[in-house]
Amino acid sequence: MSDLAVPAVPTTAASARPRLRAGGLLAGLTTALLLVWVLVPLGMGLLWSFVDPSHSWSYPDTFPSALSFHNWSSVFRVTNVLGAIQVSFSVAPLATLLAFLLSLPTAYLLGRYTFPGKETVKILILLPIMLPGMVIALFLSPLFSMLGLAQTYAGLVIGHAFLGIPYMLRILTVSFEAVPQDVIDAAENLGASRWTLFAEVFIPLIMPGLFAAAIFTFITSLEEFNLSFVIGLPNYQTIPTILYGFLGRHFIRTDASVVSAILMLPNIVLLFAAERFLKTEYLASAFGKM
Amino acid sequence: MRRPSLSAAIVLMLPGAGFIALFLAAALGMSLLQSVGYYNMTGPSGFSLQYWGKVFSSQVWDSFVYSVWIGTASAFGTLVLAYPLALFLRRRTPWNAFMNTLLRVPLFMPALVAAFILVNIMDYNGLINGTLVGLGLIEKPVRMLRNEWGAIVILIQIWKNVPFQLLIIASVVQTIRTDIEEAAYNLGAGRFEVFRHILLPLSMPGIMIAVVLVFIGAFGDFAINTIAGPTYPPPLAVLMVTSANLMQEWNFAACIGVLIMAVSIVFVFLYTRLARAIQEAEA
Repeated sequence: MSDLAVPAVPTTAASARPRLRAGGLLAGLTTALLLVWVLVPLGMGLLWSFVDPSHSWSYPDTFPSALSFHNWSSVFRVTNVLGAIQVSFSVAPLATLLAFLLSLPTAYLLGRYTFPGKETVKILILLPIMLPGMVIALFLSPLFSMLGLAQTYAGLVIGHAFLGIPYMLRILTVSFEAVPQDVIDAAENLGASRWTLFAEVFIPLIMPGLFAAAIFTFITSLEEFNLSFVIGLPNYQTIPTILYGFLGRHFIRTDASVVSAILMLPNIVLLFAAERFLKTEYLASAFGKM
Repeated sequence: MRRPSLSAAIVLMLPGAGFIALFLAAALGMSLLQSVGYYNMTGPSGFSLQYWGKVFSSQVWDSFVYSVWIGTASAFGTLVLAYPLALFLRRRTPWNAFMNTLLRVPLFMPALVAAFILVNIMDYNGLINGTLVGLGLIEKPVRMLRNEWGAIVILIQIWKNVPFQLLIIASVVQTIRTDIEEAAYNLGAGRFEVFRHILLPLSMPGIMIAVVLVFIGAFGDFAINTIAGPTYPPPLAVLMVTSANLMQEWNFAACIGVLIMAVSIVFVFLYTRLARAIQEAEA
């Protein structure tokens, strides 16, 4: 900082606060670049699912010459995507519920009490989502086999709940912390029992956080590939394992685009439907800002 | 805040944290035991270091170098886009809300979908190659998929992770009080000096956490690497899975797993130190 201590050059008010001059042109340009960066790959990917296979789409056509639902109907006819949708969309709510029930007591402890080692625990509970997913999935499989959970539906639910718990715990902890102590004191002074306190004070006040956490856990489950690949296959296919089959060595563009569309749709809907619930503090705490 | 009784603390801790601890211990324990010869699926079990001997080969070294490269390039490649954006978004412009929404899209995009949509445009006969050939800028399409440096793998990681890093860095950057900056400007500091001596040091913990987390994810990644990564060297996680599933060499796979885990844990440790530093700075 020493070289900042040079004698102050007299400055005008305007030059003293350059950061307030938000260049309109620069902002517009950045927005335009972001728009291209995000939406061109996305739009191309989506559009490919509607390209009619009898008319190819290549340069210089900026738009496919014929659109149809042919790819969609063929994917549903030829592959097991319908079964995978059923598995994915039934595992996700069950895994979310399980993660919630398991997280609630621990989040209450972390949010309302203080004890030595608490900060360490708050970081350690992030390990399932920080450590490499494939290593964990692969070496969890012996435990799942021992418990008779390998290649079972229950195994998928438990595995997905394991990956959702970090989000649940972190966001619910923040929510419990945010409940004002005087509200609790008031309830206690009025003779509220422990149960009433929980049902009438805590649960309503953590609802927004719970909603955000549920969305995270739900999406995590829908997207999860590693555990489904190791624990679910070959008995239970999920949407990501189907998509994986169309990528990689045997890249089938049209089929992959249809399954991609199916996989991204719920995320996009939830993203916009739940926008006001997904406050930045929840996002930051879920993704491990501290 | 109150202190819990020991029994209450244990009972409340078990369902959430206990469940996580059990599963993590099982996975870590199994990989460690298998890496030194126990739980052999195809032959006699017992303590042996022969599998670790196989790790010290030039092939595994190539895989290791590739994975470190992918982790590093993804982490810093993302940072190059995310950090300027985080600083830029401190300004109030009419576009802020729109930009924030736009940036949430890749954050909520499943990794496999991100992989597909980028492979789709970068492929041999994809949009980018088609346009470049059509415009006469190149004679024939360039093969970017599966190149030995994992160019597309890094691109996918960057596309997916920019919003993630932005979120982490922005949450730190937004706590920087503007009056410090104002004071520096009043004392005659230039924009670069303010950046170099105020913004950069104060946002460093956020930057480092963002870099560490993306590094770990990209370093140990399996799916994106099998989709867009090279055939040789096999990325570490791919080497691990093919050794276990195709070759049934579980003990060797466990060594690779332990290697990936060890590197990741070193970085997690770094992360915990950084997180503490931020917490203390905020308090």
